[in-house]
Amino acid sequence: MANAQGPSFERFSTSIPTMPSAAALGPMKRTQTPVSTGTSVLGLRYDGGIVLAADTLASYGSLLRYRDCTRLHKVNDNTVIACMGDYADFQYLLSIIEQKAITEDCMDDGFNITARSLHSWLTRVLYNKRCKFDPLWTTFLVAGSDMDDDGQKTEFLGYVDKLGTAYKDGIIATGYGSMLATPLMREAVEAKTKDGGQLTEQDAINVINDCMKILYYRDARAHFRYEIAVIPTTGSARIEAPVEVKGDWQVAHLIRGYE
Amino acid sequence: MFLTRSEYDRGVNTFSPEGRLFQVEYAIEAIKLGSTVIGICTSEGVVLVVEKRITSPLMEPSTIEKIAEVDRHIGVACSGLTADSKTLIDRARLECQNHWFTYNEKMTVESVSQAVSNLAIKFGDSDDDEGAMSRPFGVALLFAGVDEKGPQLYHMDPSGTYVQYDAKAIGSGSEGAQQTLVEMYNKSMTLKEAVKTSLTILKQVMEEKLNSTNVEVSIVTPKDNFHMYSKEEVEEAIKDVA
Amino acid sequence: MAMSLMRPGGFSYSELANAGPVQHHFSPYTDNGGSIVAVAGKGFALIASDTRLSTGYSILTRDQPKLYDLNSNTVLGCSGCWCDVLSETRLIEARMKLYKHEHQKEMSPGAVAQMLATILYSRRFFPYYVSNVVAGLDANGQGVVYSYDPVGHCDQNLFHAGGSSGALLQPLLDNQIGLLNMEIKPTEPLTLERAKGIIKDVFISAAERDIYTGDGILLKIITKDGITQESMKLRHD
Repeated sequence: MANAQGPSFERFSTSIPTMPSAAALGPMKRTQTPVSTGTSVLGLRYDGGIVLAADTLASYGSLLRYRDCTRLHKVNDNTVIACMGDYADFQYLLSIIEQKAITEDCMDDGFNITARSLHSWLTRVLYNKRCKFDPLWTTFLVAGSDMDDDGQKTEFLGYVDKLGTAYKDGIIATGYGSMLATPLMREAVEAKTKDGGQLTEQDAINVINDCMKILYYRDARAHFRYEIAVIPTTGSARIEAPVEVKGDWQVAHLIRGYE
Repeated sequence: MFLTRSEYDRGVNTFSPEGRLFQVEYAIEAIKLGSTVIGICTSEGVVLVVEKRITSPLMEPSTIEKIAEVDRHIGVACSGLTADSKTLIDRARLECQNHWFTYNEKMTVESVSQAVSNLAIKFGDSDDDEGAMSRPFGVALLFAGVDEKGPQLYHMDPSGTYVQYDAKAIGSGSEGAQQTLVEMYNKSMTLKEAVKTSLTILKQVMEEKLNSTNVEVSIVTPKDNFHMYSKEEVEEAIKDVA
Repeated sequence: MAMSLMRPGGFSYSELANAGPVQHHFSPYTDNGGSIVAVAGKGFALIASDTRLSTGYSILTRDQPKLYDLNSNTVLGCSGCWCDVLSETRLIEARMKLYKHEHQKEMSPGAVAQMLATILYSRRFFPYYVSNVVAGLDANGQGVVYSYDPVGHCDQNLFHAGGSSGALLQPLLDNQIGLLNMEIKPTEPLTLERAKGIIKDVFISAAERDIYTGDGILLKIITKDGITQESMKLRHD
């Protein structure tokens, strides 16, 4: 296990007296802090599918370290996951998930990992890591389709965090998104559905675009470039080409008192 | 090739071409050398009676324990290699306490039989299962108990098979005794009649005369749970047997 | 750090002003809130939970009941650290299936209650941070309620309030159902309808004062005929 305070210098401790001995470094520490991180991800259910969104930035503290990192991943034709938090932990889990998807594919039996089972699996993996006090510093949204009690296909949108906290809902946003985007998404859904209406795929994409713009304006760790994934219950999931928020800072010069 | 029996009775887990496990069958044979045990289940409770073979007048009869208490509500009687029974009875007691600890309820007689059966069939040549026997156990057991389903009698043999009985005899006199049980048993028997019947049958298959040192009697009832007859109670019960 | 300076995110404004490197600290626990109320009566048991799942000042979802039907006569209610709730209830469900296959019978509420105590105590030094309430019908068809602390202390009661509003509601139940400090006590025993009414009322009260309780309730009614359920809306703020 790597030591959080750097590599062990024990071998050199006699020749380089200034180096701290392994014992001086204290007890073994595990990753208790994320390094390169992604910010909010959004998920919204519409009538017949799910829309996910995340920007393409992996920040290193306040530095915009990697500006072209996709944080959405298509697991199979009807399952997409999105991740907030430590990008390395995301990549680590992705490598396992990709292998799972390949194994399923090789079976060639017409069955695939479902969003529900992947969500449940992530719950167990993340919970087990938290129990070892060695968390994978991530929050996942899992989107896809599910079967309801009558065997009908329905939308699935689930949340799992680094503790293993998990739930399903039609509207989920992580990080600052939970404060800035959730109310906007709830408002939009309520407005559309209050008279028995439905939220269409395009409606959902529009709401998500609005939310991503707000997040770009207000979340200092958000980026103007972001990706949207659309996962219809029937049909094929797609991750759209990255889009960019066209920022309008015309009013910026009016803001006083923060110079 | 000599396809004689002896080629398939070495390994305890080697099937013969006819699909038999000879070592298990031999173990069942060993029971027939043991002293006779009779159990009868009535609606009022269950009775267990056993013959104790006093092979020498210098022997201390009370040290031959063929009936044991497993839990307050379950007793067990054994026939065959009595030493083997100690391991099985220990397991039965452990399972009962474990069940009580985890679920705060009495373990059913069937569940105890199943738990002991799990141990009984854990025999094999391999060394990797510590605590398992290298050969089948050489005892048959009669579990007598009272649980939520009422009085119950279960029989388990060295193959691990356990079956519920209204009345069952095991040991050397079992063949004759079982036949008589079939003739004499009826569902509406009282517990007192069952004690008398079992002692009568035991008397028929025993070489010695019945007395309070060469038989052991115990009953399990819903009210008083497991109860082992005292010397006086045994004498009283024998008096009824003509 | 004075509590009054704390922001919802768990850090203070004065900390932001220092703008030094931020040390993240990993805590395996979080409080996701939620309340459970259970009442036992003659021939029935009731158990209800709210449907709000929170973290800090955020609501994760407004639609997450915290009740688990364990079998046809036992319901478990759990609230607290949600990841522990998920793990604990899965373990219980698995243990109950094993029991059913091993002993060819359904577990009684008493057996479930004792098993849960041993499960909780098995994690004595890394507890499931959950407040548990078991409600069911015993072998005589009478309602029973068991309540727990996170490490497995088990109490059998006639009624119990647990979770984030537990301390708020328990005294109310002591008075209304336990009839403590009542001047004029009702003569007839508690009816199912009255118990239902009390449960709904206390949840409405809890939602007024406890930010971790709200959105809705799910109520399970356990009688000899099985389990039925009702739901009701609560404050959505």
